[in-house]
Amino acid sequence: MHLQKEITKCLEFKSKHEEIELVSVEEFYKEAPPEISKPDITLSDPHHQTLARLDWELEQRKRLAEKYKECLTSKEKILKEIEVKKEYLSSLQPRLNSIMQASLPVQEYLFMPFDQAHKQYETARHLPPPLYVLFVQANAYGQACDKKLSVAIEGSVEEAKALYKPPEDSQDDESDSDAEEEQTTKRRRPTLGVQLDDKRKEMLKRHPLSVTIDLKCKDESVLHLTFYYLMNLNVMTVKTKVTTAVEMTTPISAGDLLSPDSLLNCLYPGDHGKKTPNPANQFQFDKVGILTLNDYVTELGHPYVWVQKLGGLHFPKDQPQHTVTADNSLSASHMEMTMKLLRTRLQSRLALHKQFASLEHGIVPVSSECQQLFPAKVVSRLVKWTAITYEDYLELSYTKDIVEAGLAEDTHLYYMALIERGTAKLQAAVVLNPGYSSMPPIFSLCLTWKGERTNNNDDNIRAMESEVSVFYKELSGPKPGYQLLTNQLQRLCVILDVYLETESHDNSVEGPKEFPQEKMCLRLVRGPSRMKPFKFNHPQGFFSHR
Amino acid sequence: MAPQEMDVQRALELLHMSVFSQSVSPCGKYLAAGNSYGEIGIFSLSAALSAEAKEESKKPVVCFTAHNGPVYALTSTDRQLLSASDGELKAWNWAEIVKKGCKEAWSRRPPYRSSLEVPEINSLQLNLKDNSLLLAGGDCTVHAMDLETGVFTECSRPQYGKWIRCLATDSDWMVCGGGPALTLWHLRSVTPTTVFPLAPAQHHAMFYQDLILCAGQGPTIYHLQLSGDVRAQIPCSPRALHSLCLNQRSPEHKVLTAAGSSHKIDVFTNFGYRAFSLAFA
Repeated sequence: MHLQKEITKCLEFKSKHEEIELVSVEEFYKEAPPEISKPDITLSDPHHQTLARLDWELEQRKRLAEKYKECLTSKEKILKEIEVKKEYLSSLQPRLNSIMQASLPVQEYLFMPFDQAHKQYETARHLPPPLYVLFVQANAYGQACDKKLSVAIEGSVEEAKALYKPPEDSQDDESDSDAEEEQTTKRRRPTLGVQLDDKRKEMLKRHPLSVTIDLKCKDESVLHLTFYYLMNLNVMTVKTKVTTAVEMTTPISAGDLLSPDSLLNCLYPGDHGKKTPNPANQFQFDKVGILTLNDYVTELGHPYVWVQKLGGLHFPKDQPQHTVTADNSLSASHMEMTMKLLRTRLQSRLALHKQFASLEHGIVPVSSECQQLFPAKVVSRLVKWTAITYEDYLELSYTKDIVEAGLAEDTHLYYMALIERGTAKLQAAVVLNPGYSSMPPIFSLCLTWKGERTNNNDDNIRAMESEVSVFYKELSGPKPGYQLLTNQLQRLCVILDVYLETESHDNSVEGPKEFPQEKMCLRLVRGPSRMKPFKFNHPQGFFSHR
Repeated sequence: MAPQEMDVQRALELLHMSVFSQSVSPCGKYLAAGNSYGEIGIFSLSAALSAEAKEESKKPVVCFTAHNGPVYALTSTDRQLLSASDGELKAWNWAEIVKKGCKEAWSRRPPYRSSLEVPEINSLQLNLKDNSLLLAGGDCTVHAMDLETGVFTECSRPQYGKWIRCLATDSDWMVCGGGPALTLWHLRSVTPTTVFPLAPAQHHAMFYQDLILCAGQGPTIYHLQLSGDVRAQIPCSPRALHSLCLNQRSPEHKVLTAAGSSHKIDVFTNFGYRAFSLAFA
């Protein structure tokens, strides 16, 4: 019994070695070195074979264990190296920053504000598309063509970022307002009004960021333009400010010349900025009871069409489109022209400003280059120069045909000049087109001397008007022609002299002629309409007919 | 110049334009008008008078610059239009005039004494009997030009102090005016019979049927009877009238046109009131 158990135990004995997976026999013979494999013995003897295989296994495992240890150590080493390098890099960043800081003064010295530009581009990423187009194009133009143009972004970046977060408590608000509406009717009206007002404010909301462009001119005066974007209406507006190199006292009549409200009126013909350029806005306005954007212009800025073009926004006339997106090429194509026009506008207004100061004192400033347009002696004097309103201009009897011809509109500026000589008084009503001086001022005359004479009853007065209004090119003076107005006024004085002196003497009235003739004229009257000689010839100095 | 500036320039020119002279074509269908900028505009009377006339038909069919100075006088032979300005006389063929780019057939200058001041030619009269043209102008002389040879002869030198602006004859009668008041003379006895009570200077007078039509400094055409009564005063758009033209050559287009200190030319189909106006553009 006992023996049987022992035998079965033996038979069932499983040596541990059988659990080890050994390489297959063929491989064993291939790989194992002959000392271990001892092929001559093992091939015949399975017991030795197994022994040899086990030996080989042991050998291999020892080797592998060695390898493993080696790999571990090398891995440790490499890890350490990585650590070192990481530290190195992280200490590099603050050093670079400190170098940037240190180089700032050098950047300023060399006028290469890389740091500033970098910051600007960071902020620019938060701009709405039209303002972004404007920013990019204006920057590009400034760098390429116009060193005196500088672009900056103002406003709060946090607010801009906040715009893109959905409002969490809007739901609660709505339920609150519903509850409010169910209250007594007495409270409903003010609530509605307040709601409408809020809706209006919401509709006219501006994006918190704005782009400012500063245009510097040769005489150190600067035109500051701030561009805003109205988010719900998809239009851009602009506000202007002018700073001059020298502090100027404003003459009374020049009040409107540089006013931010009208400075940029009609930069391009017909662009008065009173209506929103986006036709889709009309439907939005109807919902909240806004009549026209013009009512809000003082706080929001003017929505001129050129502003939209600079932002790449193009609104086809009278056809509301669903989405008008900002287009870079539209902006680029208009940039140069618009900047040139802006500069010219500022310069011409400043020139007029100076001229008005002189005109109000009764002096017509004539520069030395223009002296040759006029005779040396001019007796008629400018006595008064004032600004008048559009309504006043319309009421004058002698301006009717200018108004009918569509040359006098409410976007223009109006003035009255009074020239006197002896008992003769000449009133001149002047229409100044905002596009001065490429668009000439237009004069309407009324002479009070022995009766009232206007172009209605005296062909010569009509001829005098055409001398200044139609033949204005001769009076432009040196480029860019800002002296046109003063030259026109001087010419008026000269031709008034001619008119009065060449008036034929009425023999029935006693007494000498009030204005003896001093001007040299070839002929006193000519042609079927008995014209007087108004054309001055230089350098001979005589007057002739056209 | 930008288009906007061109518009303003032309608008100003139109406001200050005066039309000094008119002449009807030999066929009677076209009216030529000369203005103060030296331009001659050809208007189509048949288009403007037709039933489907639009605004465009009242503008010139063609308008070209004929002279450097104002075109003071126009007259037509049976084939040519003659225009006179500052000492210069040009002829244009009516057949070609309606096409663009018309060139003058010939141009002549009457001999003047002084070269510094070139006098204007104020009036042209055709003398069909001996095929000559009479020119009267600012140098106080009347020149006669032979239309065949183009040779000028000086005729008379009236040294009048007060200028005579208009003159018209009708067999026995002559009416003339200008500086002096408009007066009717009986030619046989060479005595003034009636002095018309019109205050403003008259620029143009003509006999028509039994009336005298005249117009001048004010914006009215006067219909006067030989006895001296003012029969009618017709208001017109130009403030002062320089020229009256009666189209006798074509019975369908028999109209009176009046032009003066304005870029508009009034057309009268019934001489009692203004029908419409042609205008330079």
